Amino acid sequence: MLKVNRRKFVKGSTTVAGGAVVADKFLFGSLSGVTAAQSPEVATGVEDFVATTCWIGKQDCGMIARRIDGRVVKFEGNPTNPRNVGTLCPKGQAQIQALYDPNRVKWPLVRTNEKGVSGQWRRASWDEALDMVADAVSEVRARNPKLVLWQKGRSKAKDFYDDAFVKSIGSSKLGHGAFCSDVGYRALEYTLGTHAVLHPDFRYCNYMLSWGWNITNAGGNKFCWLTWPRHMVKARERGMKIAHLDPRLRSAGPFADTWLPIRPGTDLAMALAICHELIELGHLDRPYLSTHTNAAMLVKPDGMIAKVTVGEGEEATEVGLVWDEESGTAVPFGEVENPALEGEFEVDGETVKPGFQLFKEQVEQNTPEWAAGVTGLDAAEIAKVAREFGENAQIGSTIVVDGVEVPYRPVGIMAYHMAQQELGFQTLRAMTMVSMLVGAIGAAGGQLSDFTWKIHKNYAKFEKFTVEDPPYDFVLNNSKYFPINTGHPGMVAKVMNDPERYGVEELPEVAILHMVNPLNSFPSQKEYLESYHKFKFVAVVSPWLSETADYFADVVLPAATIEKYEGPISATDQYVDAKTLRIPPMEPLFESKGEIDIYMDLCEKIGVLFGDEGYISVVNKELKLVDTEFALPLDEKPVVRDIFDRWSRAQGIEEGIEFFEDPDNGTWVKGPVSPDKIYGYVADPPFGGALHRFYGESLLDAQNQMKEKGAEEIYWQDYVALPAWRDMIMDSSPSEYEFYLISYHQIEHKQARTSFVPMLAELAPGARLDINPESARRLGIGDGDTVTVESQNAVTGETRSLVTEATYCEAIRPDSVAMPHHFGMWTHPQNEGQGASANEIYFMGEGYMTNTADQTFHVKVKVTKGSEA
Amino acid sequence: MPKYSMAVDLERCQGCRACMTACKVENNTVVSNNWMYVFRFEEGSYPETEMSFLPRQCQHCDNAPCAKVCPVGARFKREDGIVLTDSDRCIGCRYCELACPYGVNYYNWQKPEKGQYDIVDWHDDDIQSATGGAIPPYRNPDLDELYGEEQRRTAGGGHAKGVIEKCTFCVHRVEKGLDPACADTCPTDALIFGDIEDPESPISLYLKDQSPWQLLEEAGTKPNVYYIGGKPPNKELKEIERPKATV
Repeated sequence: MLKVNRRKFVKGSTTVAGGAVVADKFLFGSLSGVTAAQSPEVATGVEDFVATTCWIGKQDCGMIARRIDGRVVKFEGNPTNPRNVGTLCPKGQAQIQALYDPNRVKWPLVRTNEKGVSGQWRRASWDEALDMVADAVSEVRARNPKLVLWQKGRSKAKDFYDDAFVKSIGSSKLGHGAFCSDVGYRALEYTLGTHAVLHPDFRYCNYMLSWGWNITNAGGNKFCWLTWPRHMVKARERGMKIAHLDPRLRSAGPFADTWLPIRPGTDLAMALAICHELIELGHLDRPYLSTHTNAAMLVKPDGMIAKVTVGEGEEATEVGLVWDEESGTAVPFGEVENPALEGEFEVDGETVKPGFQLFKEQVEQNTPEWAAGVTGLDAAEIAKVAREFGENAQIGSTIVVDGVEVPYRPVGIMAYHMAQQELGFQTLRAMTMVSMLVGAIGAAGGQLSDFTWKIHKNYAKFEKFTVEDPPYDFVLNNSKYFPINTGHPGMVAKVMNDPERYGVEELPEVAILHMVNPLNSFPSQKEYLESYHKFKFVAVVSPWLSETADYFADVVLPAATIEKYEGPISATDQYVDAKTLRIPPMEPLFESKGEIDIYMDLCEKIGVLFGDEGYISVVNKELKLVDTEFALPLDEKPVVRDIFDRWSRAQGIEEGIEFFEDPDNGTWVKGPVSPDKIYGYVADPPFGGALHRFYGESLLDAQNQMKEKGAEEIYWQDYVALPAWRDMIMDSSPSEYEFYLISYHQIEHKQARTSFVPMLAELAPGARLDINPESARRLGIGDGDTVTVESQNAVTGETRSLVTEATYCEAIRPDSVAMPHHFGMWTHPQNEGQGASANEIYFMGEGYMTNTADQTFHVKVKVTKGSEA
Repeated sequence: MPKYSMAVDLERCQGCRACMTACKVENNTVVSNNWMYVFRFEEGSYPETEMSFLPRQCQHCDNAPCAKVCPVGARFKREDGIVLTDSDRCIGCRYCELACPYGVNYYNWQKPEKGQYDIVDWHDDDIQSATGGAIPPYRNPDLDELYGEEQRRTAGGGHAKGVIEKCTFCVHRVEKGLDPACADTCPTDALIFGDIEDPESPISLYLKDQSPWQLLEEAGTKPNVYYIGGKPPNKELKEIERPKATV
């Protein structure tokens, strides 16, 4: 059947049964309890539709809300939105139960008991609750605004929250990235200059390494689950093959052509072995490596690049030297077309080698046989994957895309959250180098990362690190511990618990928590339980009483779920550019409010809403309304709908906000993304002007500085110029901790905000431990048995344990066990009996973090039958 | 006269169960009544392990055994191929459930309100005032209407205790020219619905160069659901990740 436009078909029609009790049912079935909607005098059964945007997930899919008499009865995908094209995932459909959940926080709450235990509350007016928050913020702000901490899990309107609110009150801010994929972002910002992780160009890719990608359950670089699988299914119908690296097969389901069940945490060894094979087999794109990377630059014995000064006075810049084989001399980079990538030369009496030569020498030992010993994979399989990657790359070929000739390398890697492992930074560097060797970066069919080649500010910042002496700020920026610093909320907790240890003098005093629940969603509870006690005041902005709010909030401000204006929201699928907004399909339920309203009210009370540096002024800047006829007046509190109306008109949309509310529209589709935006080779300038850092000189320089400042090896050991394998710290746990514990995402849930949605809890009801039957039987553990899982911290010796149910799973490595991460909550009645979260037994801190202050999600555990308690 | 059918492309299905939640919201079905159900299977031993997914709903058979055994004519097949249950006539004898080889009939054991995910209290005054008292709050009034030439109550509204129910191909949507809720939401377009008698319909075009198979072809039920890719389920498959059963 053709998908007819339902709005045109039924718009304005009425359904008469909205309020009718069906008398016939009395004949055969019990009708008692069937409650019809509306009393007869108000029930008119008028059906209408409103365009809006999904709230429950990550990627904000376009939706149409069907309403009867103003009551939402269903959400469906908006066909005009390129991101989801009329479809929705299980969460998108089920969120209607979240909207109507009577267990939401209905009105502002003020704590009446001590903190650190389950909260007792009294109902407060918005005015009183906001006054309390404003007073606490103002008191600290007067001394040092940075001691106010705005902490988010997810922000669905960055311009209004992360930018306008944080800038106007001048607070510090923390995100969730250290538990997500930030180490991958940092590795790519360092290596390519792009603010992203890795995904292939699905439109043309023929061979993909699905590297820890939870294909059938979770997100991926930039998007959530739905858009990538749509691209992948199309690519497979075109013939794309998938080699899947993951300790569990469940992630790929039936979509893996080859499954390589890799040992957790050893992906760096695998990447180095692929590099070894590509170099051995000669699958090298030499023009790319010598033109667009620093691989040809000559490295001195001390690890630094040999440089000369080019230009004079203010124009003078230092440029790395490369070797010109024709003249037999070292010349500044860029002067000759094909400088040497290999060899050993003399410059100024020193022996120098191109960075590529050093890498080639280093990976000589990283043979497939060597990697087999580390990764637990078969050496022949490793070699086969490397060979297939190299052959499929078709080095030297080009194709024409939308009239533009683009280098064609139809091979790529999809990797995202797998970056969060002990060696994550160098792992992502090495994986990116796999694609660099064959010239696939930014090629058609090849390796993409961000949706733009605009270079992130960290690229320039990472050219030279400045490692400072203490005192440090509480995030440890520019410290001898983490010269690259993601901002790890757990590290902040550790610092708060022992500031002297980290050379920190000033600690945050007030916290505002935005859509975040550290106590449940982040490893590990212990540090937060201690650190949140130290805040003088904690305000929580949330639709539900989170576990963190339950234990530590002084005030809870009830946020609306989907029933609010929010945006602007990207609706691109990477190939078509589009934008949309979140439109309230109903008035906010109970006394809840949209966060934009909440922050404007709060700013007004703090005295930072109006004026040149105020909230409204920042909104004007972020929405690019400054100096337009649509700029918001700085002395008048706006209505949120009006802000988006102005923004819409500033984009040239004559209907204003009504365009986005209209169910026949709802998505502002700007058109196809041109090849120069997608492909780095044909961008202007190519790759946004970034020279790709094959050789990481400044990393080595950072190591030297860290040593000088007295940092221990555990902090500096991964600050090396070229990715190199080392033994994992967790592997030094005693041998009885024989399993690697990994955790995973299920498609039915989104972090900690869906496990209490009844329909989703029915489909994915609770915690379990996936264990290979062979391993389980050896331990006398039957399918469904209660088991105790105990983790051990290889650095401190601390142990932690949880009790759950063993589930036999053939499709997992016998040395690994796995748990979903969505459970372990306690404030909602639906959470009862759902069991524990793996986060409870992970560790944070030294040994369980990357060199960039990112969390790892691996730990060694032992599994025993029964419950210790 | 059209003949409504569905194609299920297992080369596309991600086993995400969005079809299940879409069905439940659209049809307001109670806990554990999954008119659409998606199996997740594991097969073999490590490392020779395979996984597969299998959506399964009423097969809307041409030779529907359920309709044959219904003593009161409540279960019947419409001329357009949709097999429906007239909830006004159903006496709850469950013969259809026994006759059907696909396990797609669901008996309403509980009072409907009780089954509507009453872990959360929809009777909450603040919810009632926002929704006009509908239970569940997303209650779909279309389900109470009369459908087809026969003008019978076949969309499954009310979910009265003691009545059998199953997938209706979303008859209330089909009569408006819409796809069933499951096909409408499928994120990878693995479910294709339409008139198989019309050679130009999306389902006919989709099946044109394929070799679809059907569930339990040997049973002679002549189903109207066509599977592409994958393979028919066998006894070696182990079902994983079952939903919580509460009935």
